[in-house]
Amino acid sequence: MDRLNYIIKRIIQIIPVMLIISVLIFASMRMIGGDPARLMLGEKATESAIAALREKLGLNEPIAKQYLIFMKDILKGDMGTSLTYQRPVSELLSNRLPTTIKLSFLTTLISIIVAIPLGYLAGTFKDKTIDQVIRVIALVFISMPSFWVGLILMIIFAVNLSILPAGGWGETAIDQIKSLLLPSITQSLTTIALVIRNVRNSVVDISSMDYVDFARSKGLDESAVRNRYILKNSMISTVTLFSMRIAAMLGGSVIIESVFSLPGIGKLMVDSIFGRDYVVVQSLVLLFAFLVLTINIITDIIYSFIDPRVTLK
Amino acid sequence: MNAKKFVALLLVMILAFTLVSCGSSKTPDNSGNSDNTDTSSTSDATESTSGNSDQIIIGKQSDAAYLEPNAPSIGGAETTVISQIFEGLVKTNEDSTEIVPSLATDWTISEDGLVYTFNLKPDIKFSNGEAVTGEDWEWSLLRARDTETSAYNFIAEAIDTVQADEKQVVITLKYPWAPFLADLTNFNMVVGSKALYDKIGEEEYLLSPIGTGPYMIKEWKKEEYILIEANPNYHIEGMPKTKEIKFLVISDDNTRFMQLQAGQIDLMDDVPFSILPMIEKDSRINLDIFTSTQIRYLILNTTKAPFDDPKVRTAIYTAMNKQEISDLVAGEYGAPVSALVSGAQGKWSNSSLPIDEFDPEATKAALADAGYTDPIKFTLSIASGSAVYEQIATLLKSELDQAGFDVTVEQLEKAALTDKFQSLSHEATILQWVDDINDPSGIVGWTVDYSQCQSWYTGLNDEALNELNKSANREMDETKRVEMYQEIQQKIYDNANVVPLFRNDFAYASSTNIKNLSVSPFKVLNCALLEK
Repeated sequence: MDRLNYIIKRIIQIIPVMLIISVLIFASMRMIGGDPARLMLGEKATESAIAALREKLGLNEPIAKQYLIFMKDILKGDMGTSLTYQRPVSELLSNRLPTTIKLSFLTTLISIIVAIPLGYLAGTFKDKTIDQVIRVIALVFISMPSFWVGLILMIIFAVNLSILPAGGWGETAIDQIKSLLLPSITQSLTTIALVIRNVRNSVVDISSMDYVDFARSKGLDESAVRNRYILKNSMISTVTLFSMRIAAMLGGSVIIESVFSLPGIGKLMVDSIFGRDYVVVQSLVLLFAFLVLTINIITDIIYSFIDPRVTLK
Repeated sequence: MNAKKFVALLLVMILAFTLVSCGSSKTPDNSGNSDNTDTSSTSDATESTSGNSDQIIIGKQSDAAYLEPNAPSIGGAETTVISQIFEGLVKTNEDSTEIVPSLATDWTISEDGLVYTFNLKPDIKFSNGEAVTGEDWEWSLLRARDTETSAYNFIAEAIDTVQADEKQVVITLKYPWAPFLADLTNFNMVVGSKALYDKIGEEEYLLSPIGTGPYMIKEWKKEEYILIEANPNYHIEGMPKTKEIKFLVISDDNTRFMQLQAGQIDLMDDVPFSILPMIEKDSRINLDIFTSTQIRYLILNTTKAPFDDPKVRTAIYTAMNKQEISDLVAGEYGAPVSALVSGAQGKWSNSSLPIDEFDPEATKAALADAGYTDPIKFTLSIASGSAVYEQIATLLKSELDQAGFDVTVEQLEKAALTDKFQSLSHEATILQWVDDINDPSGIVGWTVDYSQCQSWYTGLNDEALNELNKSANREMDETKRVEMYQEIQQKIYDNANVVPLFRNDFAYASSTNIKNLSVSPFKVLNCALLEK
């Protein structure tokens, strides 16, 4: 019951945070200058055409009124109509959000599969050769910029070996998985490096805890000590790290999606900022904020499952 | 909870995540207007295999916003596709030197230059099989003139009335307008279907219009691709050569090039000059170079110091090395220029204007004569994220700094830069131009007509020059008109508010099996001829 109350409380807390974010993004988009109508009409537009388009897009209304219209629509579940595309934002999102979610999901999956065993291995064999090698790998991974890694992977796997596409998106599930492999690997490198370090350090710390020594002295076999005591406890901070990384992935998708030409929301965000598509940017920022807040809540709930010392109140 | 339970929980989460992602991909758009631009049909199994000779895949930097010529936001991304879907009365010929019939067979122009009578080809049909009516012509041409939010309505400004039937289109002008025939070749002076417009409404029509061109829209997946297919009712037998053309959006230059190398796409435009040497070495790829009307210009704001002083502006000519800039940016595919109008416009370009030698001492002397002894400081604002503009600005700075200037280069994101020069709060910037039609009136009007855009954001209101431009637009004697444009370009050179830097070709890269690639100096790709 405590848990349910807690969840409800946390969900209610989202409301004021979202409100503040909506005001901030609304104001900041308009403070950075740049006129959507002018950008849409391009270099050869006359002043009268621009004025006519501003009128049509509703940009002539007072700012406060524009904000109220925006919030009223959001509450009704209507994210508005894109200025640039003149199409409902929900329609733009329904095409792209799945791509970004699939990308983030595959990235997370690859990170878990690769990083947790390696981190655990490094921690168990602290300061041995295998630990040194894994740590160097982590260092290399974290030092390489993702756009560069993306291009190198494309040169190897698409141009030279011709086994995976050099970016782009497919129609069938198999094509899509193929299209997602290189971007996910690229995007997962930083997460892998961070998680390896995190797991390794946790394993090293926990291994020297009294309760681990006690477990061993009880005569429990090594695998039980590992699974029940060391690994499980090292997961606590790792879960936090993953939740932070998933939030970062949404931001990172901006670069990855551009390099690999994936039709996701990261790319939509960049295009909309440059095009001063206020409506799309506002809706996307609110959506990002909502996703991050939700992930945080889920993380806290998972905490309470893996660490009984944590109570949700 | 033990480790097994934890792993189980993790798996459940992963599963949930998958379900969420699968579920949301099936969410129908709640807009209620799912049109053919959004259909997710996967009818053709041959898709994404560029080995299929019935389909050619073209890699494009950005997606179109709309596909109707009078929509807001028309740029290269839109015109490339629009030009395949629509046709007008006349067009420019293959080498873009002459105006030739398109849907008209022949035409007469009245003595006073006010009435244009076009005889139409018989039995012209839209791609949906419906016949083109006189009403369609009247509606289309007046729509080009009257759509307030179109950036190109000025092209049709001179039109007074249009009267048309199945055989003839008669256009009466409000005043004599010398470039009118050339204007009729512009991408927005085309015939569209009024019946379809009335049926689906403005909003939908901007996204899924029909015309009489060699292709029609088959499928448009926003930000992914535009698929066009051969118009079965096309009026020229045997055209177009290829059944389907897919314009695939790949925003990153490097990725686009790699997809070409990997054979995922057949053709790419906007090839950055920096990768041309790589293409020349690659035997799988052809490099195609086309004459263009593209020129980059240095734009000086004459309403602010230091360029409010004409002596400072003219002194700048010897302070820059246009050859060096052109060589760095475009190599063998560029050349320094001095005339405002592109050499690709032939007789209209003033080829007698000198390309000044780089002579920093001469500039210093000229500035000293004008009373400037200290280095003249100014900020050169350029668009960020573009290698071309960065290269130009870097060289300009190093050259101008030797000649008694002190240049600060400021990189601004496009929207911020546009805001800056449009409010005339910049000091200098670099912009570019590509002509739309075979006539100098576009670039010249833009540069000298203060009412258009403060004389291309230089703020120079030269009344005499503006009058000369107006007369040139109404002069029906071509020889006289050419002379007038020569004089206008000389005067712009003397004013030194818009300084042409260099011209460059258009570069296209294609896989070696692509045939008949042709691109006009106005950057219109002729897909109907493309074959593989």
